[in-house]
Amino acid sequence: MSEPLPLPDTASEPARAASSRWANRARYAVFWGAPPALWQAAFFLVPLCFLIAMTFWSVRNFRLAPDSTLANWTFILTAGFFRNAYVYTFWLSALTALIASLAAFPAAYTLAYKVSPATRRLMIFMLVVPFFTSYPVRIYSTQIFFSPQGIINTVLVPLGLGPLQVLNTPTGTVVGYLVLTLPLVVLLQTFALSNVPRILIEAAHNLGCGRFRTIWQVIIPSARIGLIVAGTFAFVLAFGDYVAPTYLGGSKPPTLSILIADQVKSGNNWPRASVVAATMILTLMMVMLVMIALAYGRRKGRG
Amino acid sequence: MAIPMIELDRVAKHYGDQAAVADVSFDIEKGEFIALMGPSGCGKTTTLRMIAGLDQPTSGEIRLWGRRLNEDAPWERDAPLVWQSYALFPFLSVRKNVEFGLKQRGLPAAERRRKADEWMERLGIAGFAERGVDQLSGGQRQRVALARALALEPEMLLLDEPLSALDPHLRVRMQSELVRLHRELGITFICVTHSHSEAFAMADRVVIMNEGRVQQVGAPRDIYRRAANRFVAEFVGGNNLFAGTASSAGTRLRVDGPFGTALAPRPAEFTFQDGDAVTLVVAADRIELAPAPMGADNEVEGRVVTLDFVGSSVTVFLETAGGAELRIQQSLSQIENTPLSPGQTITARWSQDVGFFLSS
Amino acid sequence: MAALRRILLIAYTALLFAFIFAPIVSTIVFSFNADRFPSLPWGGFSLQWYAAIFNDATIQRGLVNSLIVAGVTCVIATFLGFSAAYIDYRYRFLGKSVYLALAALPPTVPVVILGVALLTFEGRIGLSGTLTGIIVGHVVLSTPFAMALVRMRLADLDPDIERAAWNLGATPWATMFGVIVPFCLPAIFAAIFLTAAVSFDEFMIAWFVSGVNETLPVRVLAMLQGQVSPRINAIGAIVFAVSITLIVFAQVLLGSIAGRAARRKG
Repeated sequence: MSEPLPLPDTASEPARAASSRWANRARYAVFWGAPPALWQAAFFLVPLCFLIAMTFWSVRNFRLAPDSTLANWTFILTAGFFRNAYVYTFWLSALTALIASLAAFPAAYTLAYKVSPATRRLMIFMLVVPFFTSYPVRIYSTQIFFSPQGIINTVLVPLGLGPLQVLNTPTGTVVGYLVLTLPLVVLLQTFALSNVPRILIEAAHNLGCGRFRTIWQVIIPSARIGLIVAGTFAFVLAFGDYVAPTYLGGSKPPTLSILIADQVKSGNNWPRASVVAATMILTLMMVMLVMIALAYGRRKGRG
Repeated sequence: MAIPMIELDRVAKHYGDQAAVADVSFDIEKGEFIALMGPSGCGKTTTLRMIAGLDQPTSGEIRLWGRRLNEDAPWERDAPLVWQSYALFPFLSVRKNVEFGLKQRGLPAAERRRKADEWMERLGIAGFAERGVDQLSGGQRQRVALARALALEPEMLLLDEPLSALDPHLRVRMQSELVRLHRELGITFICVTHSHSEAFAMADRVVIMNEGRVQQVGAPRDIYRRAANRFVAEFVGGNNLFAGTASSAGTRLRVDGPFGTALAPRPAEFTFQDGDAVTLVVAADRIELAPAPMGADNEVEGRVVTLDFVGSSVTVFLETAGGAELRIQQSLSQIENTPLSPGQTITARWSQDVGFFLSS
Repeated sequence: MAALRRILLIAYTALLFAFIFAPIVSTIVFSFNADRFPSLPWGGFSLQWYAAIFNDATIQRGLVNSLIVAGVTCVIATFLGFSAAYIDYRYRFLGKSVYLALAALPPTVPVVILGVALLTFEGRIGLSGTLTGIIVGHVVLSTPFAMALVRMRLADLDPDIERAAWNLGATPWATMFGVIVPFCLPAIFAAIFLTAAVSFDEFMIAWFVSGVNETLPVRVLAMLQGQVSPRINAIGAIVFAVSITLIVFAQVLLGSIAGRAARRKG
């Protein structure tokens, strides 16, 4: 049972003993409770707020100056390159979320229902591994695969199917996004499907519901929240990724994260980079709100 | 007069505007086995937890040997608790669990070991000393919980529904074992239970609670023979409650109601006017059965509704012509010569000396 | 028919796993390839690329920096994650959901944004360009992982257990170190390994904040901009080895927890 945070007990009579006891308990709670809050406030919340504040600063003679100008916002929001990058990033990320969700589903279905629990555990473990192994190196490796002299073209060209031009195209970017997102999407979908009560599926079969209709009318609606969460994560990861569009997409056209990196690393215009970052944060918040509404809203709708 | 060991003085515990304990006062003497009993939500567990210091009274005072205890932290008290869930430390062996409290008191390792051995031996768990507690059965865990508490050699032991998680046959064994331990150790046991059979079987005195208030405190026999109010009379079971109208009949009071007519001793504690509504309580085992009325007082004729056999006793349910229900508890041998079957009419009767009245 | 369907599904799944793991496997394989360009046919076994990276001072510095950053990050992040999980387990208070969101949200913010935000902010307080600056960001990012692991473990703890310890004479501090910490120990170690892996592989925050103090992934990123170099494969193989070791340790610890919990329930 969790207990309320200690507060001074004003009703009790021998106030001194009670208040020293209260002080001890409060000290204990603060010792454990304050460090994470302070750290995340100081190095997560404050920097993000600072980032937002900086969108109103100005750059004079290559120096940052606190200001309250809307110039950065108007410059970025009216710039054609920003609008192009925004639309491009958004649709490519959405496309990735869709492809990843569709591609992952049969695998998640297999892992959830068609293999032994021991195999499932092993596969889940394997899917966690890429999440924590150097992503740039994996992208580098993918780059080699698709290079003109790479493995894929070595196989395809003699068959008269090539050469395949993937590098430095939007397709390359999407391939990279899939390298990034697929493990997580398969993992989350597997969890979502495993949590569908077995008895629901058996009941559907028992009532004469065919295999595909069971998937469509029982499994997917029951696992809806998990499936939407998986797709949302794919979108969020792709939307913020810098490596795939740079090294597989060839930065042409640039995505929002490439704009940020360019503004910061070469252009040194932090306020403009901040504006781009702020629009990204806003976009992601909106997307998440929409997805939450999709996942949890209208639950009774299909009853 | 000597100071009682533990005094609860107008103790209350509120959560927001909910009163878990509204107003509780009673004393506990050294060496007593006290049962706190009542339906769930009556405040008995909160009362126990306040004695242990795990909950803070909102008002009132708890005293130990006359000293106010309210502000003492749980770890400063000497009131180990045997938890309903046992709350054993899952990552420690049985031995380490039993030694836990001794270690907190700074006892040297050798002495901890000796005491733990002694208590594990005493509770019959010495054979499991090095096992993890998740490898034990429910009954064995209970013994570890007891050993862990008793190893501190406290002056009181608190028990929260100690038997509720056990199988029925283990429950009976553990019940007599608790009574034996209490007798041998001579320390105060305070036990929370919702079962009156447990409470009456084990305790020297029972505190019956309902809705955060004490309803009655007394020895099991006294409570059973003389319930203080309607709640107690109904909660302890085995009583007939006859509603009716009072009228004077010399040293006795006469009651007329749907059950018929009965006489009972005039209560000394309160007075009734003729025509007042009263409730007469007659214990089920004080009523006898006869094939036909004999013309004596306190006779009621009724139709047998059902018979309920439990072990060697039987409870007969009658319904009178006026629609009142009677329950009569007899031993099997008592009714052997009385043929009984549902639907049959029979006479119930009892002495004019055994009933008592409830005030409201 | 059903058997065929099962075989098709399993074949598809195998293909998907091949897509996911091909980059990892090929990195390791080609790190031993004698040819300069990683392609078929195989050009013979060689350790020359490993020799090359061990003679490269910038890579060595990057590795040392990464190890320092990961080593410090995992300790701080695990402490903070443990604390936040314990607070969630133990207390109810006004604004708790805000508290938990603050502790848990950082991984949902793209690292490119965290990187810019930390760069601009740390520039103001003199942390940018230092290893401390990188550590600060990595702790922000990895604390939620530690918190999740510890919180999962605490969910298995009898809610009465702390009070049981107090009741036996243990003060809250003694209870913390005699009951809560020992119980959470497998999760704490798992959190140390996992947060170390997160930090060891993180490149975006590090790239923005590091300045001249490059970590290994930042060095890799810089090398990617240059020519194809099998040295990247060699670094990749080493990085994979380190990360996978950390993850396996974490998983084994978590597996032992899960196994015990399953046995207890079963």
